[in-house]
Amino acid sequence: MQEQDYILFEDYLSGDLSSKDQINFETRLNSDPEFKKAFTIYKDFSDYLDHDIKNENKTKDFKANLDNIAFQYFNKEKETQSNQTSTKNFSFLKYVIAASVVILMGFFAYNQLTTQVGYSDYNTHQTIDFSVRSTTGNVDLLIKTTKAFNSKQFDKANLYLKQLLEENPDNTEYNFYYAITNIELDNFTVAETILNPLSQGSSAYKNRAKWYLALSKLKQDNTQECVTILKTIPEDADDYSQAQRLLKKLE
Amino acid sequence: MSQKKTHDDQKYVDGLVANNSFIIQAIYDKFAPKVVNYIKQNNGDEHGAQDIIQETIITIYNQGSQKKLQLTCPFDAYFFLLCKRKWLNHLKKNNKNQVTINEEVLSKNDDAQELSFETSDFENKQALFNQMFQKLGTACKELLKATFKTKSMEEVAKSLDISYAYARKKKSLCIGQLTKLVQESSTFNQLNY
Repeated sequence: MQEQDYILFEDYLSGDLSSKDQINFETRLNSDPEFKKAFTIYKDFSDYLDHDIKNENKTKDFKANLDNIAFQYFNKEKETQSNQTSTKNFSFLKYVIAASVVILMGFFAYNQLTTQVGYSDYNTHQTIDFSVRSTTGNVDLLIKTTKAFNSKQFDKANLYLKQLLEENPDNTEYNFYYAITNIELDNFTVAETILNPLSQGSSAYKNRAKWYLALSKLKQDNTQECVTILKTIPEDADDYSQAQRLLKKLE
Repeated sequence: MSQKKTHDDQKYVDGLVANNSFIIQAIYDKFAPKVVNYIKQNNGDEHGAQDIIQETIITIYNQGSQKKLQLTCPFDAYFFLLCKRKWLNHLKKNNKNQVTINEEVLSKNDDAQELSFETSDFENKQALFNQMFQKLGTACKELLKATFKTKSMEEVAKSLDISYAYARKKKSLCIGQLTKLVQESSTFNQLNY
């Protein structure tokens, strides 16, 4: 192709040809296969550059998210194995969670009187007590984490949990509460990267992870995804009733 | 292809394009195990499977967002065919040909075959475009980056301190050069043009 042909391609694609020239161009496209082939490549390459350059950041975000999810998925098997040893702790935890949810439900019954729905209506997290559950590990750090979380100093709690996770990256409980602090601090990607695999897993936190995933979407004003996730919370989940109530309000 | 009905599994493509973590997770949970098994049975390991799956997902994301990919078959069959083809190509490159090639292993679904070939072709073109763009001189690269980032050519001309007419002409010639590079490349014949 000549330089002039490429200039013509560009004029045609940007709609700058007169109607007569446009008809001539299209006639040539249909009668000259080499011309057509070069034009198709030119157009494809323009589309490629347009998409690639304009969406550079979006694609970067997508790849980072994908990396995380892939990593979590391929490490799940190992995590499941290590979790089997701590099943006893989890069943005890289930009772603690159930008891706290009763208190929470009371709060939400009150809350239902208000019509505006927002994340702040639902972020009354149950209190935690890491210190009683662990006789090993950094007791001082566990107490500090407990205090910070319960007094809603989520920035501090976030830092402490991060330290705990450095020593114990597979600890489901730490991961779960670390995710909650990240929702509080608007680090939604970090939170959701943890909650997604948890909600698909088989730990005691499976359904609670779904609930918090929904709250994360709610806080981002993403009603549609929030509703979709709320609908996946099964009837036997602790958060089922409040999920249903939130669902009603949103729909 | 455009006359065919879009499959319900389009939600997976749309979810990828929207960077929806929930959908990405679901793709792994539902469709990855089959791919991992296949690769493990054919001279590979979990690590290899992880790469193949990730690359395939990125391709579908790219085709979905750039070309508005419409799924006309179940995602399962389409995804498996793409991963399988990618794995076989990987083995070929590394001269490990002792593979159980069982073309009928999954799908007699013609739509899945056809669509997966289209996606593979899209991926090959993307790879070649990327490679050719790197060969371009700095001036062309900068002009094209500015052109596609900024909406108006006037602004581009101003930012690069050149005239509007020259910027426009230069843009066509730079993409023209890329077009030529593509046509002259050794893999051009393998592309569907």
